[in-house]
Amino acid sequence: MSASQANAAAPVAANGGPKGTGESATNAKLLRWVVRFFSAEWSGALLAVVLMAIGIEVFTSGKPFFHPSNLLTIFNNAAALGIVAAGMTLVILTAGIDLSVGSLMGMSAALVGYVASYWGFDPGLAILSGVAMGCAVGLLHGTLVAQFGMPAFIVTLAGLSIWRGTGHLSTGAQATPKLDELFNYFGRFNPFSPLRAAYKAETLPDGLMWLGALVDSQWLEWLRTFQMSTVFLFAFYILLAILMSNTKLGLYVYAIGSNEKGSRQAGINVKLYKILAYVFCSFCAAFAAILFLGRAPYAKSDYGMMWELDAIAAVVIGGTSLFGGRGSIWGTLLGVLLLKLINNGLTLAQLNTFWQMIVTGLIILIAVGLDIVRQNKNPLRVRQMLIAAAAALAFFAFITPGSKLVSSWIVHTEHHAAVSLQEALKPQFKQLDPKQAQRLQTTEDLQAYADDAAQAVVPAVGFGLLAIAAVLAVFLATPVLVYGLMVAFGLGMLAALPMGLGAVAPFLLLGLALLAGSQAVGPLFRRAASLK
Amino acid sequence: MKTFVTAVAALALVSGVASAQSVKVGYITKSATNAGWMMINGGAAQAASDDGSIELVTVGPAFQGDLSSQLEVFENLVAQGIDAIAIAPVDSSGVADAVAAAMAAGTPVVAVDTGVVGADVASFVATDNEAVATIQGKVACGLISNGDKVIYVTGNQAQSTGQERRDGFYAGFGKACGDSEVLVVPTEWNSQQAQEGVEAVLNANPDVKMVVNAWDGGTMGAKAALENLGYAAGDVKLVGFDGAGDAIVAMDEGWVHADTAQMLAKMGYEGIKAAAAAARGQMVEARIDTGTFLVTPETSAEYKALIGM
Repeated sequence: MSASQANAAAPVAANGGPKGTGESATNAKLLRWVVRFFSAEWSGALLAVVLMAIGIEVFTSGKPFFHPSNLLTIFNNAAALGIVAAGMTLVILTAGIDLSVGSLMGMSAALVGYVASYWGFDPGLAILSGVAMGCAVGLLHGTLVAQFGMPAFIVTLAGLSIWRGTGHLSTGAQATPKLDELFNYFGRFNPFSPLRAAYKAETLPDGLMWLGALVDSQWLEWLRTFQMSTVFLFAFYILLAILMSNTKLGLYVYAIGSNEKGSRQAGINVKLYKILAYVFCSFCAAFAAILFLGRAPYAKSDYGMMWELDAIAAVVIGGTSLFGGRGSIWGTLLGVLLLKLINNGLTLAQLNTFWQMIVTGLIILIAVGLDIVRQNKNPLRVRQMLIAAAAALAFFAFITPGSKLVSSWIVHTEHHAAVSLQEALKPQFKQLDPKQAQRLQTTEDLQAYADDAAQAVVPAVGFGLLAIAAVLAVFLATPVLVYGLMVAFGLGMLAALPMGLGAVAPFLLLGLALLAGSQAVGPLFRRAASLK
Repeated sequence: MKTFVTAVAALALVSGVASAQSVKVGYITKSATNAGWMMINGGAAQAASDDGSIELVTVGPAFQGDLSSQLEVFENLVAQGIDAIAIAPVDSSGVADAVAAAMAAGTPVVAVDTGVVGADVASFVATDNEAVATIQGKVACGLISNGDKVIYVTGNQAQSTGQERRDGFYAGFGKACGDSEVLVVPTEWNSQQAQEGVEAVLNANPDVKMVVNAWDGGTMGAKAALENLGYAAGDVKLVGFDGAGDAIVAMDEGWVHADTAQMLAKMGYEGIKAAAAAARGQMVEARIDTGTFLVTPETSAEYKALIGM
């Protein structure tokens, strides 16, 4: 996927529309905004974040998900990973990869804590030496990749193992005592807390009393979880965005990633800028370690396990191509927020642990899928994908009654298998393994499962047929079929409510919206093209 | 001259019989970096240095929870003709076939901390996780009133240790605190997951009165979460599991109110002793329970003396 293809829609917005009059001018303006939105790399991630947040809000009970202190907590916890992922974005933009960030983050955290706790280093000096060490590691990686032409994947895979081992070895893999107060200023310190303390102690100058009162009144709902982590996260991204659009480094990483040979011929010092990208990435990992220490109970060398995977996932969710040359910093930030939102939301929803793993994977797939739909300039393909998404939603609606059928079937099958095994073992005077014996059910239980299943037959068949019809519509997207499906989704929604299947209604509603959207794709693309 | 040689040979023979037969014991640990495991490993090393006739070969997996690398080192040790193996299985049933093969070949295997399902072992040296967690649940319930909301930070629910601690906690806690809502924070023995999860749940439920943890890494993560949200020691009670050093320090500071400690060093010590005894063909008990110690602010001094803190 080349950069020009990805941004196919962008010239539409850039060239400006016709100087139409009245109503059509407003429409054209609106359309241009839509086009401009979807041509941004981060739009897929933003859509996914919004959808995910709405989903969590609907499914969590109790205090609303969207209250400021919870959102700020998500930002606080996203800070360290966010900065690691920012560095990763630069490396991936040059068509490289850095698998060592998690290990390097763990080693930096452990060593900084170690020298501050046991070598009597001043905490500030410990932090500086940790960051310097990170940069040195990046210089090593970058040199091996750019100067000696070793594959980035291999160099940093070796780094993943080496730096984790070095961290464990040099600190004995032991936790340090609680760290110096200075570290709090990189993490859990709340910039408003001294003001509030002074207000409470009534030592605030009279002119500032109103401010203290304001802070105190908004404390619980707004300011309690406002911490330096959040400040660092956003400040870092703003600075980096300025850096990316105003320096050669920002320009050249894109150039190197999309066409390395061409960049070299154009006179760019490719080696230098590739090395710089790795140095920056390792710097980010070491700096993230400091932010992490600001919120952690102690320093330890096992921090940052698997963070390389989270960081890469965030970068890709944010619309950056793994092949380099295309992507944005802001998309990565949204990707990190999406990952943390999933963690936070699924914990609040108290979903079973193993389901959380599956749902996390599905959400990542959906986010990247949205990005692919966004990039596509063929209206037919986009329409197919929207209908396919509607089919997936119909399948989700099918799961609720369908799982009852399946679990009843499994319970009966396992019961009968255990019974026949028991019969077979009897002549040999052997008994069932206790785990197999657990599969034996009482008659009442079997009946209860059968009753549950009987009730689920009608909705399961109904939603199942709906899903199959929607899959058919992907290939035969005639207007009649799609409009018929829309009616069926609507009827299904109405029918679900009295059957006690209220939970499936949102799926069907969203499916209905996607189907309606699929019919608007053609005209929308034609209009956008005519705006040229 | 000849008599001298004979005398020396006889002396050597006598001394060889007098001290125990020298054995080579392989010890396969689950982790070299987790604080609790380091105490178990320390106990194992102590057993070998106390008894000069035990030569200890310690190996660990590449990372905690890696079954395939554990199986590989297990088979390597058997192939090298080791006299006995003490193993902390990463997965109760995953190691069963390898253990059965070693036992059949005459290499006694002792399971430490986590049992083996599907194969016999010479001895199983461990605290009964479920029984200790039941005590933890009971004690936790006594710290609050029935109906108060609590958070439970789990261990890895795909491993038997995590499952038993959870089941034990629910059994002990639910008996007298049946009206309390338990909000679950799932983790894979990762203190960062514990910290983020506890922060999220506390934000949405400020009326939570206590956080109970399946291991002390979770306790320290929960403590960091409380500090991050501006709570003071004692605002929300913490209950730990393992009796790890940093949790006991936190108890002295007023954060942690109870901690069911396993006698971790003893577990490693007894495990190596049992393996060496089995290698010498001596009788070993099939189940060695290393017991538990309930650490509370009242008993913390006694516990610290016991583990040499």
